Amino acid sequence: MEKVTVKCKTAVYGNVRAELLYANEPMSFWGTVDPQTGTIRDNRHSLYQKNMSGKVLAFTTPKGSSGTGLIILEQVRCGCAPAAIINLRSDPVVLTGPLIAKRFYNVSIPVVNLSEEDYAKLEGAKEVEFHDDRDEIDIYY
Amino acid sequence: MRLTDHEKAMLNGDLGEIPQQAIQALYDLATFYDVEEFVEIVGCHDDSTVYAGEAQVAFAEMLAEKGAKFAVPTTTNAVSCDMEKWSEQKHTVEVMSATRRIEAAHVKMGAVPSFSCAPYHMGVAPSFGQQFASAESNVICYYNSIIGARTNRYAGPLELLCGIAGRAPYYGLHVPENRYAQGLVKLGTDIKPEYFEEEDIYNLISYAYGSIVADRVWALEGVPSRGITNEILKQFSATAASSGGIALFHMIGVTPEALTKEQAFGGKQPKEIVEIHLSDLAEAERQINNPDVDQLDAVVIGCPHCSYNECAMVEQLFAGRRVNENVHFWLITSRTTLGMLKSSGLYERLISLGIEIYCDGCILEYRNDRLGTKTMMSNSGKFDTYCFAMRGIQPVFGSLRECINSAVAGKVIKEAKPWRK
Repeated sequence: MEKVTVKCKTAVYGNVRAELLYANEPMSFWGTVDPQTGTIRDNRHSLYQKNMSGKVLAFTTPKGSSGTGLIILEQVRCGCAPAAIINLRSDPVVLTGPLIAKRFYNVSIPVVNLSEEDYAKLEGAKEVEFHDDRDEIDIYY
Repeated sequence: MRLTDHEKAMLNGDLGEIPQQAIQALYDLATFYDVEEFVEIVGCHDDSTVYAGEAQVAFAEMLAEKGAKFAVPTTTNAVSCDMEKWSEQKHTVEVMSATRRIEAAHVKMGAVPSFSCAPYHMGVAPSFGQQFASAESNVICYYNSIIGARTNRYAGPLELLCGIAGRAPYYGLHVPENRYAQGLVKLGTDIKPEYFEEEDIYNLISYAYGSIVADRVWALEGVPSRGITNEILKQFSATAASSGGIALFHMIGVTPEALTKEQAFGGKQPKEIVEIHLSDLAEAERQINNPDVDQLDAVVIGCPHCSYNECAMVEQLFAGRRVNENVHFWLITSRTTLGMLKSSGLYERLISLGIEIYCDGCILEYRNDRLGTKTMMSNSGKFDTYCFAMRGIQPVFGSLRECINSAVAGKVIKEAKPWRK
């Protein structure tokens, strides 16, 4: 697999490599994601009917309801949370689940932000790898 | 970070395990945003209340059992169901018992049991300029935009950690300089001032605004400032926070940080200007309205929760007519407003029209699967944005008057509007 390494800004560190689920649009979890399966059930979203469980989920920016933190925590409990999250800009809404998972439950869901230029490199990629000791990710094609 | 002695003690665990874990998570957040200090908050609106699964209940119970207390007055958001009339709403025992556990845990931590997604209708809102931690997207947007209080977009249960710590990382919308508009949405000349006599236009404009602006701070120019009620602004706020990630909008000439365009932009020029037209309103309506419904099973009003004024308006619009026998007309409000409805006699009069009135619950938790509902109509852009994903029904959107006329007729009755060709 061809590999490209890009710099990132890290909100939550962790070590994981997983398949990429890529959207070039914003996303809400509450009202969009089934918290017990991780399936996206908003028929207006480009990831409609895709499942994020155990995958690296990339979407541009969070949007919509602030219930997202609770949805991600329930996904963690049900074992269908994304393995990691990539955004252009994360807001506290999307960081809540991963931060509480880390501080209160000792579960790591890495969250990183990329520049627009690097975010565009995710299109067509197969897998992404995260590292807990540095601010960069590896994108595999 | 620059920390006060109190914050150092909290981080050090001197004030107990829960305040320590709470401020650690906030510290992580602060580090990510390169924030240099915390800011003390005067209050918190806690959104970890609509039942979203066992993880949420277990988290609140764990906090309460370990003795967590809110350091500032903390109101609670809507829950999943009416805590008294849950069985009439066809909610399950599982949802009800989870809701009671959520209630008990939050009350034990010292929360104000408001159980409403419209706490601003209940006299418990912050004042202009006050620092606050709010979750619930419509409340965040309302407090920031319509009141001018300062909160970031917190998500359940992060705001709960702010409430326990009594502070939030000082960045984003807590900081006055970050609250100026960067870009401008302008209404095109084809959207005429007289169209604003119909309240549904605000929902369509806000849907379009949210779609364009996403998570940025922008301003809207061209809305006539006359006759805009807080209920209209509430709808605007809730819808913009649903179609986009709007935490703060400025409506020039209307909202308090945008009484003039100069104030909204802090004396600078907009970096980007987007004009919207009737075609954008038509597109917004395509997104939130199902045009293929005739026979109507249910009309739901109260997303976000109805104010007393809205309840009085409902009575006026019914004008003595009754809900059609084949239609469920649900009105959802807060327990505070319900108390006023009962003491004023309006409750009995609304019930006698065939309206079902509930409190505490979120209408998006409506059990259409157990109630046998196939078609729904609402005056809420937020409800109509989420309804398909959450309930599997694409609802009809209409003004309050259209909703009521349709409920009386038992079928959808929409009026001619300039954006509907």
